[in-house]
Parts: sequence; structure tokens; C-alpha cells
Amino acid sequence: MRVPISVTVNGTVYHHEVEPRLLLVYYLREVLGLTGTHIGCDTSNCGACTVMMNGLAVKSCTVLAVQANGAEILTVEGLARDGQLHPIQEGFWEEHGLQCGYCTPGMMIAALQLLQRNPDPSEAEIRHALEGNLCRCTGYQHIVNAVRYAARKMKESGAMPVGGR
Amino acid sequence: MAVTRVFGARIKRREDPRLITGTATYTDDIVIPGMCYTVIVRSPYAHARIKRIDVERARKHPGVVAAFTGKDLEGKVNPIPCAWLIPGSDLKTPPHPALAVDRVRYVGEGVAVVVATSRHAAADAASLVEVEVEPLPAVVNQEKAMQPGAPQIHDGVPNNVAFHWKVSSGDVGRAFQEADVVIRQRMVNHRLIPNAMEPRSCVAAYNRGSGDLTIWMTSQNPHIHRVLLSGILGIPEHRLRIIAPEVGGGFGSKIPCYADEAVVAFCAMQTGHPVKWGEDRRENYLATAHGRDHIVDLEVAAKKDGTITAIRGTCYANLGAYLSTAAPGVPTILHGLMMCGPYTIPNIDYEVYGIFTNTTPVDAYRGAGRPEATYYVERLVDMVARKLNMDPVEVRRKNFIPKDKFPYTVATGITYDSGDYEASLETLLRIIDYPNFRKEQEKAWKEGRYLGIGFSTYVEICGLGPSQVAGAVGFQGALWESALVRVHPTGKVTVLTGASPHGQGEETTFAQIVSEELGIPIEDIEVLHGDTEMIPMGWGTYGSRTTAVGGAALFVACRRIVEKGKKLAAHLLEASEQDILFEGGRFFVKGAPDRAKTIQEVALQAYLAWNLPAGFEPALEATAFYDPPNFTYPFGAHACIVEVDPETGTVKIRRYVAVDDCGRVVNPLIVDGQVHGGLAQGIGQALYEYAYYDDFGQLLTGSMSDYAVPKASQLPPFETARTETPSPHHPLGLKGVGETGTIASTPAVANAVVDALQPLGIHHIDIPLTPPRVLAAIRQAQGR
Amino acid sequence: MRLEGTYTLEAPRDRVWELLNDPHVLVRCTPGMKQLEPAEGDTFKATMEVGVGPVKGTFQGKVEVAERKAPEQITLRVQGGGSAGMVRAEGTITLREEDGRTVLSYVGEAQVSGLIASVGQRMIGSVAKMLADQFFSNLIKEASASR
Repeated sequence: MRVPISVTVNGTVYHHEVEPRLLLVYYLREVLGLTGTHIGCDTSNCGACTVMMNGLAVKSCTVLAVQANGAEILTVEGLARDGQLHPIQEGFWEEHGLQCGYCTPGMMIAALQLLQRNPDPSEAEIRHALEGNLCRCTGYQHIVNAVRYAARKMKESGAMPVGGR
Repeated sequence: MAVTRVFGARIKRREDPRLITGTATYTDDIVIPGMCYTVIVRSPYAHARIKRIDVERARKHPGVVAAFTGKDLEGKVNPIPCAWLIPGSDLKTPPHPALAVDRVRYVGEGVAVVVATSRHAAADAASLVEVEVEPLPAVVNQEKAMQPGAPQIHDGVPNNVAFHWKVSSGDVGRAFQEADVVIRQRMVNHRLIPNAMEPRSCVAAYNRGSGDLTIWMTSQNPHIHRVLLSGILGIPEHRLRIIAPEVGGGFGSKIPCYADEAVVAFCAMQTGHPVKWGEDRRENYLATAHGRDHIVDLEVAAKKDGTITAIRGTCYANLGAYLSTAAPGVPTILHGLMMCGPYTIPNIDYEVYGIFTNTTPVDAYRGAGRPEATYYVERLVDMVARKLNMDPVEVRRKNFIPKDKFPYTVATGITYDSGDYEASLETLLRIIDYPNFRKEQEKAWKEGRYLGIGFSTYVEICGLGPSQVAGAVGFQGALWESALVRVHPTGKVTVLTGASPHGQGEETTFAQIVSEELGIPIEDIEVLHGDTEMIPMGWGTYGSRTTAVGGAALFVACRRIVEKGKKLAAHLLEASEQDILFEGGRFFVKGAPDRAKTIQEVALQAYLAWNLPAGFEPALEATAFYDPPNFTYPFGAHACIVEVDPETGTVKIRRYVAVDDCGRVVNPLIVDGQVHGGLAQGIGQALYEYAYYDDFGQLLTGSMSDYAVPKASQLPPFETARTETPSPHHPLGLKGVGETGTIASTPAVANAVVDALQPLGIHHIDIPLTPPRVLAAIRQAQGR
Repeated sequence: MRLEGTYTLEAPRDRVWELLNDPHVLVRCTPGMKQLEPAEGDTFKATMEVGVGPVKGTFQGKVEVAERKAPEQITLRVQGGGSAGMVRAEGTITLREEDGRTVLSYVGEAQVSGLIASVGQRMIGSVAKMLADQFFSNLIKEASASR
């Protein structure tokens, strides 16, 4: 049995028929070819698969593709606009917020959610907000720095974070 | 004309743009037309005799292309070899079949494989594989495995002892007789799961026409994988191409040659389809090598003034069910030889039993043997200080190898290249304001708060390493490194390295080295790695060797470029070669700096070859194969300040300060990142992480819900500082920094917790210092 | 994993013994038990649905009466498995008469492997206890209904 779905991903509308058991993360990766979103566990602990769904950060390994029917999804591939890196991407680059890069897409989406809710988070607030995203390389210090950089940058430019609808 | 110095500069990473935009290609992102998916069926039993494996129902499932058992592989896929055969240890190397045939020896061992046209079909069919077994008694604890009557895991390995290795020097017996204090302590350095965020995966494609096999895989050392897989699969090395695309962390777990990749390659060869395999996290926990897992009985002898005169110990190292690729070398060469730490301890007697158990194989995990040694030595030093009522800082100072004694050969026989241990400790004490902390601690104790400080002054063996030594200690490979520097006609540069970085940032640091040496802008330099068809032979990334050995190879190759360039520049400038100087990317005549050619101009002429000196070969590229004369020995001093809640046993890290000396620093930002990540893993071992098996061999911490990978909120902000003592034998003075944080931090945390609990008379608590353990120790001490 | 417990049933021992030996009662009382058919000898083939934390699955297995001492003691051996893992268990139920009531105690050892062990282990002990409680409270209901 296949179920028709239509999903808007990074501003583009897609129509597909999918197996009901297909996970959103596999839909993104293997049907749409958007492999920036990664899979790091099977218990929704690691957060590597975090994407924005209707403005909320979700773990796409625990969402079925059919549940995303009619939804707007933002993945790491949609963060930069017109060749301009998003301030969060810039922060991760400037502050060495990544090493192997595997957790980074999910980590940045989680950070985006945080900054939408709290544009000027403290170090403790950042660490708390990123609890659902594991990184094995950085020890998180540079990730915290990256989020603070992004917060400053977004404040200075007055830019609205993308995906904030 | 000034060129901005790039060596030593805080330059943001050049690998990041693809990683932060989601455009990097990891192994699991690769799709090949006609590609099939595989699932490896794994044993749920820790020890069992296989009675029957039936894949017929799986074969008939829609979408299934093939299904194989261990029997199907016999004669076609050779056993998985061990590649570190330590000498003089009576090492047993029982066969390790790629898929189990008659017996399974740990939960997670592969017994069958299913190939199907879709991920779902493969998973569905895998559940149809019927495995009938007769369960056998299992043993998971290494000490129990050595007891008479324990289940015997391999034929021809009595009492499951894989090897018995010993290092000894001096007169240990006498040192203990003449000691003023002797302390005996059993310590456990528990099992860990590496947890690279990217699980292992591979894609294998076989061309039946040409006989070429290509494997994209999550590898830290593609060339080593090529050699080993060539032997396992019977494919000539020149027909086998291993590509490590973007690799999402390894921490040692992507060094070994596992059965799985060989099985997947076999599937590709048998079916003619490109085949993909990827483990999920649960599979990763069962099938990817674990780390550490020692039980050690230790003794230390010391004089009243704090001089440590001897260490004696017996280490029981759990190897798991089979010998993983480097397993025998980790608890011996990389561990036992480091049992002197940064101290002048003259007498050492240390023996190691490597023991098989019905658990996942154990191999290198970040630090590999050295974190264990540092943990034991640093705990012992603290115990000596406590017993003598001395400051732990004083005991360390008392025993440090003095800086004017380097190169220094320690009792275990290895020669430390350089060090200034006192300097790093002094820097640390300044940063933490030590005298003030002790006052604060006194006050806290009076208020019933348990505040403590723990030190760890460590030295590690890095930059693996001289190949002659590698051979002498039984490593079935070499440890030199290759670098190829190709200056293109337009002056742009491609660098090929035989190391295989996977997050450590050498695409940036290597470009910095080349930019510095050749005076070429960093934007014009590209560093490539991880493809055996493109890269000269190399030995990969582990043992903090990439910059230490690969960077040295790169330096030598750059010097060869300059030498060749000088010859051509001299010809073009009509000067004598001896009069040509090279600086900032320009060849110029001594005393006439305006008579010059840029390296870009020289490169173009080298390729055009219209006007070359006699005997001069066209093109401008150089390859170097660099074999280091010695290992490098980074060191440092770390301090951790904790507060222990006596009611809950919770440990809160209030401050963590790391002063590291990794020789000269190419990029401080990246060095900080390496230190931070290492600290997280070392603190993780001290406080949170524990791979725990029940008595039947079931891994009870089998998911990320149960195994505590530290979260952002569980780690403190890190403070880092450095001293700089160049390695005297490295052409750039580098030492390596990939493992320092992990090696140093576990004992710093453990020492801090015990220090905090001094008023209760607590002498030792085994790691991980989880609230229940700490609380139990407190309750026991309070007589509650 | 060791399991043990004690319950008091408002029924004479012979009646409880009878109930314990009736496959229909066992199917009714065992949470998630779908089927229990007699097979060769003193064994039954069982189909059960169990969920432990995040892991849910259907188990197929064999229940063997290893020892039967009417009307006071029965020893059962259970061996089963499914996609969620494998269970091997052995348990003894002892019945003691006390003032016309029956004191039932059980003690058993279970060995769990596979997914259910590695992912569900934190819940296994309490789930097993809960299932046993449900089973015996159902049995208590059966016993009092039949009085």
C-alpha cells in the first residue's frame, strides 16, 4: 500500500506516494536526495536527524513521512539563502563548532529553534536547549560559542531567522 | 612584500562549508544505480553452538536478491586477521570467520546476510532467517574467564588467555622492601563504546568485466583496509580500491578491519549488484569494537619524601570474543610501556593478561591504552600524597623528569623526546590560583560542602611512529606517512596525504603548512585524502599521528619542491643555484632581491619546459615518505574542580583547566577543538559512560537511551592554555594533540572527587563516578 | 534476572491447582497470551504479545512442565523468541494451604536476549513484575469466581 503525500521542503513542494512505514528522514534522504540530514541512532537520542517541521524542531527519525503530509520542512540544505550562509552556519564555521560534521545539520536546526525562542540565550540556556543533540567530537564548547556568535550576529543584522513561520 | 603568517594562525576550517550546508558526502549518502541493500543477521546469544541456519524463507521474500550464511562464505572469504602480533607473549590467534559457521561467541556476531532491492525488503527478509542454536554457558568477565572450569571460547586457547605480556626493569622487589610506604589498590578501567556519531557503513561495487572492486567505507585508514581486505577477499591489491569519503568520526572504532565490510563486498561480487550496508546504532553498539575494559591490581612503593620508587601491577585486559585488528597492542605496547608517566620511577614490573570473553571485541578507542595507564599512575600518585600527607602537587614535582634530562629513557625502555613538565604544571597552578582554592576548600568543608581538586600530569606516546619499532613490537604494518605536493602550472596546489583525517581538520592545518613553506596563498591549496587509487601508500589517522607524521612528510615534500624550484629559478635568473634564496613564495638572488621569480612563475616554466636547465625533469611536484626517528611525547597538566553533593552523590564539575604541550601549534583553534573533544570523552568515562553486560553476555547498555554519551548540559565550559616545547626530532617541532584530552581528563576528575571526599576518609571509588556509586561510598564511609 | 513473589488466593489448594493446570485459564490470565495449544508430552506451544518499554513484539514459544507434584508444586520451563528477542526462563510455583486459603509463591530465573535485553533492559524487571502481578491477580479473580 502506498499513500500519496505532498510536502514542502525548503520552499519546494513535492508530491510522492510512499509506504506508510517510511520515516521522514528516509523520505528526505532517499526519496528527495537531501542527504544533509543524518541518522545517528534509533532511539531519538542523538538528534542528528533534526529538521524543522512547521516551525518546530523534530527528530525526523521518529516522524513518518505520511505524518509530514501538508507540512513545511526546513532542512540544513535550506538554511543558506541566495548563497548567503545563515548566521548559525556562519557561527559554526567561525567558532569551529564542528569537527566530523555528522551531528552538525541537526545541531544547527536545534540551535535555530533555540534562537527563535530566545534570541539572547545564556551559556546554560544553550547547553540545556541542545540536550537532545549529541556531539562526540567537540565537547560542545565551540558549539556554545557558535550559537552565541549567531545570536550576536542575528541581533546586529536584525535578521529574522529563517523557517520561523 | 609581507606574507601573512599562516602557520600558527587561528584560521577557520576549510572543510566546513560543505559540512554546514549539508553538501558533504558520507558513505551512507552514496547511491549507485542498481544498488541493493544488505542486512546482516546477528546472534542474540553470547555463546552458542549453531545447529541450523536456514535462509530459504528469506530468499523467497519479495525483493530479495540473495542470502548467505557462513557456510556459503567458506573457501571464498578468508578469516578476519589480527594485525598486531605482539612478540614474546605466546599470543593465540584463533580463527575469526566473517560469518559464524558452527559457533557464535558474542551477541552481535554475524551469522547470515540478506541482500535485497530495498532497505525495507532486506530488513523484512532478515527477520525470516531461521537460526537454531544450542546455547552454551557464556562468560563476560575477564577474571572469571581465566578461572578453571570457565566456558572455553576458542579451541586451543586454554583458560581463554590470548596472551601474557610483561615489561619489567630495575629491582622492583628491593624497591618494595626498602619502601617507606606501599599502597595496593585494585582498579577497574571499565568498558566504553566509542560512539562515533556516524555509524559504520559501506558501499561495495564489483565490476565483473574488469575484476575491479571498489569499497566506499567509514575508514580511518583506507590503505590498511585495502591490504587486509585484499587478503580476506582474495582480490589483488591493484584491483581493490578503498575510498573513505566524508567520515563522521572514528575515535579508533573505524581503524579495525571488521567482518561486515568483507561480507558486504562478497555480496557485491556474488550478485553483481552494488551493495550498501549500514549499521543502526544498536548494531553499532554490538558489532563495532569497544574500548578499555581492564581490571588491574596495582602496587606502588615510595619514600617518605614522596619519591616513588616502583610500580608493580597485573592487568587483566578483556579482549572480547575475537582479536580485533590492533587489539593485542593496545593493553601492552600502548599501555604497559607508559606506566612510568612523566616520572623518574626507576623500577617497573607490569604484566598483562589478554583474555577472551563472550563480548564484543575490544580495540583502540581514543587514547588506546594510554588513558588507562595515565589513570592508574595518576591515581597512585594521589594515593601516595594522601598517605604521606603531602600535597599531590609536591609529589608530582618531586618525581617529574627534569627538563634538562631529555631525551629521557624511562624504565619501560622508551625514550621521551622532550618535555618541561614543571612549566605546564606552573602554568596550571597560576590559572587555577591553587593556594586560594585550598583555602576555599577548607571553608567549604567546614560548611559541609565537598569541594575537591584533582590533578593529572600526563605524558603520552604519540606520532605513531618509527616503522622499525612498529615491526619490533609486532605491528603487521609500518607507521611512516606519505605526502605528495603537486604545484599545478597555474601555481595552485594539490596535496595528497596518506593519513585519513575524519574531523581533525588537516585539510586546513596541512594547507597552512604548505602555505607557510611554499608562500602560496592558502586559498590556492587543496588537501585530498582517503582514496587508495589517488593517494600513494599511507597508514591512516590514529594515534595522534596525522600532523605529527603526515605533517612531517608534507614538510619534506615541500622542501623538495623548493629545492627543485631553486634549480629552475637559478637557470631562469641566470644565477648560481647557491645564490638563490626562497622566501615568501619568491625565489631571488642573494643580495639582489629584485631579481626574482615567484613560485607560480617557476611552476609555469617547469610545466612549459621550453627552457629548462640540462637534466631538469619537467613539472613541479614532490612526494615524500617520512618515517619518524622516534615517537613524540606530548604532555601537560590538567586540573578539575568538583563539588560532590553528599545527599545524592552527584558530581558537579565547577572548573576544568587543561594546560597542554603538543609542541608547536599549527592552528590554535583546531588544537582547542581537539582538546575539548578529548576532555568530553575522558570526563564521560570518569562520570557517565559504561558499557555493561549481564552475566549471560547481553549488552544492557545497548542503546543511546542507556549508554550515557555526555550531553552539552553535562559538561562544563573548558579552559585551555598551552606551553610549547617543540619535538626535537620533528622538522616542524610538532607532537600531535588528538588524544591528550581523553588521556589526561579521566584521572583529573577521579582525583578531584576523592579529594573532595577527604573529610570522609574515602580512599578510592572506581569510575564511572555515577551518583549511586559515589553515594554508596559516602554512606559506607559515614557508617550509614 | 530473578523473579519472585507471593500471593494469597481465596480458594482451596486443589482448586488453585486445577486452575493452574487448565490451558484455557492460563490463556485468560496471562497478559498478552494469544494462544496456548497442547503439544507433544507435557508441553504447550504459546503465542504471546509483550511490550517492554519501546520494544513490542510477538513471541512464539514452548512451555514445558518440567516437574509436577500435585497439588503443591509445578516447575515450568519457558523458551521463546521473536523479532524483539529471546526469553528462556524456569520457574517453580508452590502452593501452600492456610486456613482454607492458598498461599501461592513463585520463584524463577529468566534470561533475556536480543533487542528486548539491550534496549528494554531498564524496564524488564518492572515489566516482568507487572506481568506476574497481572497474571496472579487474574488467577485470584478466576479462583474467587469459581468458588
